[in-house]
Amino acid sequence: MASANSDEPSPAASTVNDDGRSEAEIEARMLELLHQFPKGISNKILDTDMPTVNKQIKVNILNELMSKGKVSMFKAAGTQELFWCLKSHPTSRIKGADNEERVVLGLIEEAGNKGIWTKDIRIKSSLSQATLNKVLKALEGKKVIKFVSSVSAPKIKLYMLFNLQPDRSITGRLWYNNENNEFESELVDLLNHQCFEMLQQQKEIAQQKQNEGPVTVRNSSFLSSKEICQVSSDMKLVKFNLTVEDIETILDALVFEGKVEKSTASDGNCNEKVKMYRSVAQPVPFASITKTPCGVCPVINKCGKVGAIQPKMCKYFNEWE
Amino acid sequence: MSSIVLSPFNQTCYQLINKYFGEIVGEVAKFLLSRRYGTLFNIKTGTGMSLWDVKRALAVLIHQNLVEFQANEQNPNIVDYSIIYHNAYCLLRYAKYLYTIKRIFGSSEEVLIEILLNIGQASASNVIFHSANKLNKAIDDIKVINPSDLYQSFQKLAANNFIIRCPKIEIVENMPKLLEFEEKDKFIVPQLEMEPIAKLLREKATQIGEHSDSEIIWRVNHQRFEVELRNVILVNAAARRVDETTGKLYHLILKLWREANPTEARVSNAVSYTLVKDAVRKNDGGSPMLMEHFDQYLRVLYEDSTGLISRVGDSGGGQFAVNYADVFENFACSILDSVVLERFGSKKALRIFRLTRMQKFMTDQDQMQKLAMVSPKDAKTLSYKLMKEGFLQLHEQKKATSNVGPVKSFNLFYVNLPEVVRGVLETSYKCVSNALERQAHDLTVNKCLLERHADFENILEQLRGEDAPDNEIAEFSDSMTVADKELVAKVLKLCDRLKLVPIQADETILILENYLKFHSMP
Repeated sequence: MASANSDEPSPAASTVNDDGRSEAEIEARMLELLHQFPKGISNKILDTDMPTVNKQIKVNILNELMSKGKVSMFKAAGTQELFWCLKSHPTSRIKGADNEERVVLGLIEEAGNKGIWTKDIRIKSSLSQATLNKVLKALEGKKVIKFVSSVSAPKIKLYMLFNLQPDRSITGRLWYNNENNEFESELVDLLNHQCFEMLQQQKEIAQQKQNEGPVTVRNSSFLSSKEICQVSSDMKLVKFNLTVEDIETILDALVFEGKVEKSTASDGNCNEKVKMYRSVAQPVPFASITKTPCGVCPVINKCGKVGAIQPKMCKYFNEWE
Repeated sequence: MSSIVLSPFNQTCYQLINKYFGEIVGEVAKFLLSRRYGTLFNIKTGTGMSLWDVKRALAVLIHQNLVEFQANEQNPNIVDYSIIYHNAYCLLRYAKYLYTIKRIFGSSEEVLIEILLNIGQASASNVIFHSANKLNKAIDDIKVINPSDLYQSFQKLAANNFIIRCPKIEIVENMPKLLEFEEKDKFIVPQLEMEPIAKLLREKATQIGEHSDSEIIWRVNHQRFEVELRNVILVNAAARRVDETTGKLYHLILKLWREANPTEARVSNAVSYTLVKDAVRKNDGGSPMLMEHFDQYLRVLYEDSTGLISRVGDSGGGQFAVNYADVFENFACSILDSVVLERFGSKKALRIFRLTRMQKFMTDQDQMQKLAMVSPKDAKTLSYKLMKEGFLQLHEQKKATSNVGPVKSFNLFYVNLPEVVRGVLETSYKCVSNALERQAHDLTVNKCLLERHADFENILEQLRGEDAPDNEIAEFSDSMTVADKELVAKVLKLCDRLKLVPIQADETILILENYLKFHSMP
């Protein structure tokens, strides 16, 4: 019989502890407790429940659970006590995800709607650039995360969970197409046209009150931005919700076309300023020179007495109907 | 033909003078237009024409109020001639003048103005005599027109300042000088006896000969007509912004302002509320709605953002005046917006232009893109295009960073309104001069063809009148080929359109010129 070799490393501490439960059982019990107290369990609760379990073992198990991503640790605000609670999130559903991925995913998830920059992930997870890239590629491949570009800084990449909609602040409201970051001109045109039609209709309705005097006519041709938003949402022109700010940007664009006038009025109930819009006619309908070929000629500055561009042989005159 | 190149405005004046007075007068005018002042000898050598021709041309121009003279500064024995630019341009507006007079007064006043425009400068009796002759020819009645009616019409025109006394020639320090009359004397018509004129008319004389007031010469007052044309634009704007009745109200208020303001100023004198109300009451037959909702109509006008009326005080129920600088700025902006829309063909360009104009601070491309709701690529291309055509101006502002490395700078856009207006004004003058030039060119190039066509039409009419048999008519009408007929039709159609161009462009020019005028007034 060989004597106990003292230079062999001593075997690991027995996984069977005092009250005969295996680590796995303790873990299971902990998970049960965690489920029971979704708001979190503190050390005290663990002690009361499993007084016989060695503290070191508890800590080990908790650490393991945390690294698996099932549990997260918090510090209570008042008492500075530590407690743990279950995390219910998709990382637990990922199979074969290794630790790094989980960490990264956890960070991305935390960022929620707003997305997180690769540099931020690197700082928080303290992973190297190469590892991080690998992890991100892998996660993207699994279609768990996606990257979006922010309107404010088009060059940086933001990551967020696949099924979340990016927040308004980074996509410049809904005028940008999510995938290609293209400006949605057709949507803008559609809404533009719609709002203008509404204001025109309102003006026509107001005109029928001619007999009550022009001030009444003018006041009833105003529509507030809230009302327009309401009507547009009801018409369900677009799939997502339109906010008052969105409609106001469209209406401001109409003001910049000279078709609509804006004024502020105070709301009857509260002291807020409400923006009112109405359709107006320009004082001078059109510049009469635009009815002539010269007024809209692209080469008018080169037209003269000599050279290739002269009124005598102007082809725009020839084609003028 | 001299090869002087003129600016667009001068080119327009030259084309007009050429069209109405012929080549010789045109050449002299061209020389004077390019050279501000010229002595008789200068003009002769400059144009290469004979002295006799030059003298006659100058006489015509002076008589038509297009050229004025004064003593040369260096040598008082020599006369300097110079073109009155504004009057030369107003040749364009003669048709509008006649229409305006007809609208306001009637056909006898219209004839008086027509004769005066044709002659240039004439005494009252002369004008009345020729007008009576013309009316006689127009009416087949044997009854002769009574010149006293025309005399009254003449007095009406003078009272409304549409005609004005020409400056008198006086010898000052042994030098003949042109002196303007006092303001109050400019419009006073002398007492005239109509009997001698009536007698001449009965005798069917063609010239008036000697008459008592041959020293008292009149001409058309272009400033007054411009005010009238301007008022038409203002009233139309009021009608467009609100409705027709408001237009009428505004018309009455404009009249009151004119009475309160003899001279042109940036801001008119104020008229009180009561005065306006009285005027409306006197004119009550025009519109009962106006009287009923008078307060509301007035309120809508002065609260309108175009600034057609502004409320300047509260005494007497409210004092109302107009700030012409503001009003014309708004009009000029409308014109510019319209030009941008038509020239660049898209609403996006208009949005970018307008928003840059309306912002108090200069904008950069990022802001443009957000506010105008255009894609970034569009914002870039359109802003550069607008800048190239002179609608936007660029301002570079350096970022205040360290001196190391490349200095970053902001590129900010803004609209310098007077500059842009001047640019568009030049384009408008070019429009007019191009139209006139093309019209003249077409008619000369196709002269033979058009003459042939005219003869052809005449003979065809004759045949039809004589009831010639159909096959003869058909045979004759084949003598001119289809291609020829088409060409003639095309040329005539283009000519008709080109005739309208100067008159249309004049509206734009009026607004833009008035903006620049009031903008530069203190």
